[in-house]
Amino acid sequence: MNVITCYKIVPDDQDIIVRDDRTLGLEKAELEIGQYDLPAIEAGMQVVADAGGKVSALSVGPKLLENSKLKKGVLSRGPADLYLVVDDSLAEADTHQTARTLAAAIQKIGDADLVLCGEGSSDLYAQQVGPQLGELLGMANINAVSKITVEGDKVIVERTLEDEVEVLEVSLPAVISVTTDIVQPRIPSMKEVLSAGKKPVTQWSLADIGLADNPQTMETINTLAPELAERKQIIIEGDSEEAVNELWENLRQELQ
Amino acid sequence: MSADKYEVIIIGGGPSGLAAAYKLAQAGVEVVLVERGDYCGSKNLSGGVFYTRVLDQLIPGFWEEAPVERYITNYVTTLMDKEDYFNLDYKGQALSKPPYNAFSVLRAKFDRWLAEKAEDAGVMLVNEIKVEKVLKEGNKVTGIVAGDEEMLADVVIAADGINSFIAQEAGLRGPIKPEHLAVGAKALIELPREKIEDRFRLTGNEGTAYAMLGEASHGVAGGAFLYTNIDSLSIGVVLRLDDLVKSGAKPAEVLDDLLEHPMVAPLVKDGKMVEYGAHLTAEGGLHMVPQQLVADGFIMVGDAAGFTINSGLVIRGMDLAVGSGIAAAEAIIEAKEKNDFSAASLNSYKRRLDESFVMKDLKTYAKAPIFMENDRLYKSYSKLANDIFGKVYNHDLTPKELLLKTALKALKENNLSIFDLARDGFKGVRAL
Repeated sequence: MNVITCYKIVPDDQDIIVRDDRTLGLEKAELEIGQYDLPAIEAGMQVVADAGGKVSALSVGPKLLENSKLKKGVLSRGPADLYLVVDDSLAEADTHQTARTLAAAIQKIGDADLVLCGEGSSDLYAQQVGPQLGELLGMANINAVSKITVEGDKVIVERTLEDEVEVLEVSLPAVISVTTDIVQPRIPSMKEVLSAGKKPVTQWSLADIGLADNPQTMETINTLAPELAERKQIIIEGDSEEAVNELWENLRQELQ
Repeated sequence: MSADKYEVIIIGGGPSGLAAAYKLAQAGVEVVLVERGDYCGSKNLSGGVFYTRVLDQLIPGFWEEAPVERYITNYVTTLMDKEDYFNLDYKGQALSKPPYNAFSVLRAKFDRWLAEKAEDAGVMLVNEIKVEKVLKEGNKVTGIVAGDEEMLADVVIAADGINSFIAQEAGLRGPIKPEHLAVGAKALIELPREKIEDRFRLTGNEGTAYAMLGEASHGVAGGAFLYTNIDSLSIGVVLRLDDLVKSGAKPAEVLDDLLEHPMVAPLVKDGKMVEYGAHLTAEGGLHMVPQQLVADGFIMVGDAAGFTINSGLVIRGMDLAVGSGIAAAEAIIEAKEKNDFSAASLNSYKRRLDESFVMKDLKTYAKAPIFMENDRLYKSYSKLANDIFGKVYNHDLTPKELLLKTALKALKENNLSIFDLARDGFKGVRAL
């Protein structure tokens, strides 16, 4: 079984600053592997642990993907090799561009039985790339999967819905987007980090995967933090009856 | 459990560990460097003034590519009273020319760069792993333990900083004495670079470093520092632990008061505090360097070996760290040729240190910590200097007296004798 897990490099959201004009400051934010993509990588490792085969990791994006720490970060979590498509035009890629690039790379890698994605990217969280990728590759395509069991040339997947768990049989090859509760991602050990440095990394340009022409289909006008609600700044101290009444009165007036 | 084996494992990715790693990898030695931080430099508070000549030996022309802030051309020593101050201001043009004497650095950037250089040279870098102990066979160090993993090496280098429990565990260092430790409280204040250049009279990438004594530390043994980065200022206080406990002062309050002092306030005005924190630093100089710096299969470098100098005017650590890292690497390269990693063989490290500026400077300044144990330095002399100059310049229509008489009076008012002054002066000149 050849598994390809896709991941995105994103800024650490804890260190993103919201400026006064509501724009986002990313200068202080370290780059990291998308938090929703780590479970997909681990799920891939579980699949090959059960059914045999190999996990390859794949990412597309600007030059920052080449950072050795980020490359080791992915490979120390288990994948046998890594494929990168690097082009600075992908820095602000929309979901379609990303899906097209991933699809072209997956076709070039060849022989994929199972492609895994996270449920969405942890920066934009459009939840679009997985489904578009399945469509572009012409593979069976399903999202919100919380369990994968391999059975011969099929996989049995579970989707946790509001009141029930949907169990589906999916023929391979397939593109599956997994939820974060599918499996707890590992914390790499010292030896996994050391061996990661020795694993093969293949890097392609857009031309290498035959995608020299990959235009943006959407234009981002702006990315702004939500407007902050004005706080009343009323502080009532103590637990006396008057204080409770005052609190109640304030709440009542607000809700009227 | 089978354990992998490497030639050298280095614990800690600061300047000492990285310098050793870089030098070893360049010589084709197989090196693993284990750093507990998310990246090298991530555990670091702000930065420091780095006397970089030794780094130029390791990486010639490093400043062309390294994320250094400003080359320090201006050195100011401040004797601070509660509201008054007395500055000794030095600017040297030679300090503004390559290979440069010292740079201000922000370590989160700088260490990270050095780690990338080391990786490019072939060092295998492992982040986010905490080494818990060393593996031993008798007295011989054979590897490290992290979590449930073991890893073996011909030589383990302890580069894990001032609190090096690895050195303690290897049996080479006891607990550090409180008088050899100081608490540093530090803030990083952002200011536009033009403002910094105006306020500190700097041209281009020139930089200033202040050493402040007296009221700057609330009279607690230690002092304060301020230096310029490209678009921020690093300011902090260093308070000797034993005296700090005795005085009951709180480091954060001492730093807050310093920021409001009439000398400092206009320099930091309108700045935005972006980092604030505290850290333990070493003050002991040669006195805290252990007798033995090596064991079978083991070497300690940098702060872990106690290589720091605080002369009152200059605080040094990073240069000694890099110097010791290079010496350790050279000793290991020689030991590898003989295939003998015993303490006796690795002890060429000690000889290399003795021959280098590291030990020579530590010996030169050996008396500084004892000299600086003197209370008068922190509590009396800054006030004395300010009293004397106050009287010289203040024309309040009372008859003036000659400088000598003014000085003697000021001494008396500060409960000092001319003998104290002479003795401390003599000691100071000898120790510094």
